[in-house]
Amino acid sequence: MATTDKEVNELIKREYEHGFITEIESDTFEPGLNEDVIARLSAIKKEPEWMLEWRLKAYRRWLEMDEPDWAHVGYPKVDYNSISYYSAPKRKEDMPQSLDEVDPELLKTYEKLGIPLHEREKLAGVAVDAVFDSVSVATTFKEPLAKAGVIFCSISEAVRDYPELVQKYLGTVVPHGDNFFAALNSAVFSDGTFVYVPKGVRCPMELSTYFRINAANTGQFERTLIIAEDSSYVSYLEGCTAPMRDENQLHAAVVELVALDDAQIKYSTVQNWYPGDENGKGGIFNFVTKRGACIGKNSKISWTQVETGSAVTWKYPSCVLRGDNSVGEFYSVALTNNFQQADTGTKMIHLGKNTSSTIISKGISAGKSSNAYRGLVKFGPGAEGARNFTQCDSLLIGDRCGAHTFPYIESKNKSAIVEHEATTSKVSDEQMFLCRQRGIEPEQAVSMIVNGFCKEVFKELPMEFAVEAGKLLEVSLEGSVG
Amino acid sequence: MKSAPTLSAAFLHPAGQSLPEPLLALRKQRGTALVDMPLPTRKTENWKYSSKYLKLTDEIAISLPADRKSGSSLAVPGYKVVFLNGVMMPEASEYPDLSGITIERFSDLDDDTATTLAERMDSTLDNNAVQMARLNSARFEDGLLIRLAADAVLEQPLFIVHEVTADASGSAYPRIFVEAGRNSQITLVEEYISSGSESVMVNTVTELALADGANVTSIRLNTEGENVQHIGATGVRQQRSSRFESHCVGFGGPLRRHDLQVRLEGEGAECKLNGVVVTQGKQHYDNHTTIEHVAAHCNSEETYRNIAADQSHAVFNGRIHIHQDAQKSNADMNNKNLLLSNGAEIDTKPELEIYADDVKCAHGATIGQLDEVSLFYLVSRGIGRREANVLLTMAFINELVEQIPVAQVRETAQARLNQFFDQTFEGA
Repeated sequence: MATTDKEVNELIKREYEHGFITEIESDTFEPGLNEDVIARLSAIKKEPEWMLEWRLKAYRRWLEMDEPDWAHVGYPKVDYNSISYYSAPKRKEDMPQSLDEVDPELLKTYEKLGIPLHEREKLAGVAVDAVFDSVSVATTFKEPLAKAGVIFCSISEAVRDYPELVQKYLGTVVPHGDNFFAALNSAVFSDGTFVYVPKGVRCPMELSTYFRINAANTGQFERTLIIAEDSSYVSYLEGCTAPMRDENQLHAAVVELVALDDAQIKYSTVQNWYPGDENGKGGIFNFVTKRGACIGKNSKISWTQVETGSAVTWKYPSCVLRGDNSVGEFYSVALTNNFQQADTGTKMIHLGKNTSSTIISKGISAGKSSNAYRGLVKFGPGAEGARNFTQCDSLLIGDRCGAHTFPYIESKNKSAIVEHEATTSKVSDEQMFLCRQRGIEPEQAVSMIVNGFCKEVFKELPMEFAVEAGKLLEVSLEGSVG
Repeated sequence: MKSAPTLSAAFLHPAGQSLPEPLLALRKQRGTALVDMPLPTRKTENWKYSSKYLKLTDEIAISLPADRKSGSSLAVPGYKVVFLNGVMMPEASEYPDLSGITIERFSDLDDDTATTLAERMDSTLDNNAVQMARLNSARFEDGLLIRLAADAVLEQPLFIVHEVTADASGSAYPRIFVEAGRNSQITLVEEYISSGSESVMVNTVTELALADGANVTSIRLNTEGENVQHIGATGVRQQRSSRFESHCVGFGGPLRRHDLQVRLEGEGAECKLNGVVVTQGKQHYDNHTTIEHVAAHCNSEETYRNIAADQSHAVFNGRIHIHQDAQKSNADMNNKNLLLSNGAEIDTKPELEIYADDVKCAHGATIGQLDEVSLFYLVSRGIGRREANVLLTMAFINELVEQIPVAQVRETAQARLNQFFDQTFEGA
């Protein structure tokens, strides 16, 4: 396999293509966190009093909490006082009134990232909210969405324009003191996306947010809140990139989903934060709390994620299945290479009758990375007739990586049925032989096999993302078989 | 923040000074290490589901007296060793004097043997994972050292009966160490029973070291009473091509905890771990197993079944750890659970931790109830509902009960299971 080894080395050295830094002026807070910083942040955002109160409550709670250490990851302690909690591209006036007024440098950045920010690029048909460092810079397709009655804007705008909606739902799924990182986020969240789909509306297009960390020494703390009223439907995508820097940067987001009666939310993520270089230097710490509440009857929340980036990932998109007959789904592909570490999975909390959930998790570890699935399936005493199926498979590429599975299964209802399966394997010599025999290059063969391994998850992704995810996987992985 | 509760100092006063000097020294040293040991809480990962059942009052800390003749009337054919309240009873025991097999109580050991033993004690267990069983090393008053020379074979099973007499509150700390030499063979049956009704604790540790090619079968049957908290740990280290088989059958109690840790350290070693747990009433049972694949080309197979009725609580945590150089490992873990009532709870966590790529590992876990369709099938053919329930429940575990290689244990287990069926499916 000498040739493969050579190819491996070449390919592993492949650089992170989104690693550029955009030279734009920005307003950045000096590093440090205290109540004044939060008050200043809140003032800049012209937030109402209740919002500031809520932030401070979360901050005080956070001060009393310890950073969790149970995850199967190791990283240097984060000094929360050396991070700047706000960085915004500098603008002469207030908010840009239209896309023409958005800083051209910024637009170029998004073009480099391949995001159809300009409305004229309608072919993609995706409405985008782009979050650059701490603030949302532009939201497209606002008008057609508004016609359908869908509110799609940055959360800062929502706090100002739709305070009653925000106040009603913010923190109901992930309370301000939920966990260490969620509390931190609640205190300092700078921006994020707000989506409200009214009763009976099927959102006419895919909604999308692109997150980018640009400035050095900043943390990104976005907060997303999606509310789907009775019988509505929304599909939402998010993507993330960051420049290459030697220091680790922190990303601590919170995503809350609320699905009422018969509503459906589909949430897809392609996470490609900077993973650090091949020696494990730099990279993003991705500590994210994502949770959806199926409050209504027959509601459905579906998480699909493709995780290829970040130095350290700590992320468990969850569903609280409160409404009877509600459905939770989790489809995940997590790929780690070099020194990346991922501890990711899901929680399915079955409270209502006849609730059902499906978990399909595919972990791929290569290089010296560590990839863990950690999941909880819990049936409360009232989860009559509830059902769960879990399958988590791991694929190991190379003999210096690790793949782990930590499934927690708790049942308090006898009629609930849970099935859990897990397997671990490697790309087998037989499979490789079969492909090589047919004239397929080793690299391509691995990519084919891995794509096949992930197929179940990819088919859940919206079209554009499925293509992107496949490519991303190829880039992150190609040739790492030796 | 409230500080975590720590082990009461009352637990650090061992009784019985008749042990050889090296063992007394070891016991003292282990005791010192436990001063102010934090007790497991809900936040302690490996005691997450069970810490609330742990009730260590100072009354329980007192060593149970070992001066009474064993009340055990167990008609055991063949070889047996009886421990009463953690101390061996030579007059009640019967074991052979065979060449190549030495069975000695700790207090009879000469200094050299005791020194070697002291060095090896606790070496089969991961002390961080069995925090409560560490108490045994600080408190044991007696124990049994079984040594098999190379090629020695004990034809009949050796029964070790651990009895506690709960006429007053207190605790007992029996201890077993088995050294199985090259290609030796032994079948051990550890049976835990109790009499009396005061609240007591049994804290027991069994260690087995298997040399190349050794073949050891260990059977553990726990039928202690509703007043006995049981904390047990079994540590196994296996060298090249050795084989270890374990059969654990446990009935619930106020607290039942068994940690079983197997290290496959030599190539070609294999282990098979079977377990059946039955809980009812407000009982609890917690099995924690760990299989460490340290060397390459090892096989492990694990099958555990839990049945929880009424308001009882059964916990299973299985961990398979494949080390970096353990290529060509095969590991298979399977845990199935039957919930017979809505008040009962089952928690299971089958973990895999893998650092080698050329391995085959799989685990599966299910929780469910008796299948309505199967019940209907049986009932529609004229089988009573109670009988149908019993048949299906028995079918769930029969595969494991059948595999127990000692008929006597199968019979005792079956008798207890019948009792359980009578109580559980009474009104069905």
